[in-house]
Amino acid sequence: MLIKNNLFLLITITLSIICLLITTNVHAESNKRYQFINKEIRVRVTPRSPQQMAAFYEGRGFSKKMVNALIQPCFFTVGIHNKTSDILWHDLSKWKFANNSGDIKHLDRAYWKDKWKKMQIPLAHQSTFRWTLLPESLDFRSNEHEGGNIILPYSTNKFTLQVAFKTKKDKSGKLIPIKIENIQCQR
Amino acid sequence: MPTLVQKYLLACLLLFSLSSVTIANSKLPEPPTGILKLDAYQAPPILLTDIDGIKYNLNKTKGHWVFVHFWASWCGPCRKEMPAIQNMWDNLKTQGFKIALINTAEDEDTVFNFLGIYAPNIRALMDRDGQITEKWKPRGLPATYLVDPTGQVQYQALGGRAWDAPTYLNFIKTLIK
Repeated sequence: MLIKNNLFLLITITLSIICLLITTNVHAESNKRYQFINKEIRVRVTPRSPQQMAAFYEGRGFSKKMVNALIQPCFFTVGIHNKTSDILWHDLSKWKFANNSGDIKHLDRAYWKDKWKKMQIPLAHQSTFRWTLLPESLDFRSNEHEGGNIILPYSTNKFTLQVAFKTKKDKSGKLIPIKIENIQCQR
Repeated sequence: MPTLVQKYLLACLLLFSLSSVTIANSKLPEPPTGILKLDAYQAPPILLTDIDGIKYNLNKTKGHWVFVHFWASWCGPCRKEMPAIQNMWDNLKTQGFKIALINTAEDEDTVFNFLGIYAPNIRALMDRDGQITEKWKPRGLPATYLVDPTGQVQYQALGGRAWDAPTYLNFIKTLIK
């Protein structure tokens, strides 16, 4: 009887571990990260699912109508690390997103500001939202890391991100180009 | 012919002007890694209330170095950094150093719960609609500035810092001594 019980317990634990491993793997798979890295820069792009974004913004107390607006497009969390010993200039207006249908324009701060104004969203929530976005421009100092979200219109097509970062205080240094291909919206 | 009171006021004014010029012109120390020396500029105003509704005005801290810090509970690096700020503050609060810990656009319950865990002894200022934070134009959250006794922003930290580490503590001690 005791052996039977222990065997049952062992099988249950083993099955639980397998389930946990499968779940963890699926979770890891659902947060695929795209990356460009060399000795000068690291850029990471992590797609976020509507569920992740809804949970994050609902947790900040955002209204249902605001969350509904935020789960329609595609969110990507971007992290940039300046590995050079100089200033690296980030300018989001120079980032080029393109799929096989052509260029894609990201939904910038002006777009959201206008949208929130029309929807009469409280200033506090507008402010929190803005702080979750990737800065429009920034002079990355040596070894500085910063990040935030970029938002693109929803599409099932894979796209390519291309940008060249200027360097040095007067922007006269060498250009640091990056290219990340086959990025896909998370659904 | 100026009266005695007028002479006294004039002398005070002259002394104040001289001390301001002295601070502005004196050589400030080179900051440690992760802190930028800025071209000094006048600190944007901070008129806020704390979590208990008590008014705060940055202008009233003139004569002291002020650690101006913007944060939000949802920001991961803010959570990581806050205990170090509490430790730094425990170390320096009796030495004439001031702190303005400003929450960006969250409510009292969120701030109360967060600081109860991470920095229970620091007074939290509430930037309820996030507009004060916007005026300071931080690079991101968290953001820290060091404002000199004349009200000029002199340094800015890049991201979160281990403020309770000897490097940063000693740097601040050099400023306030």
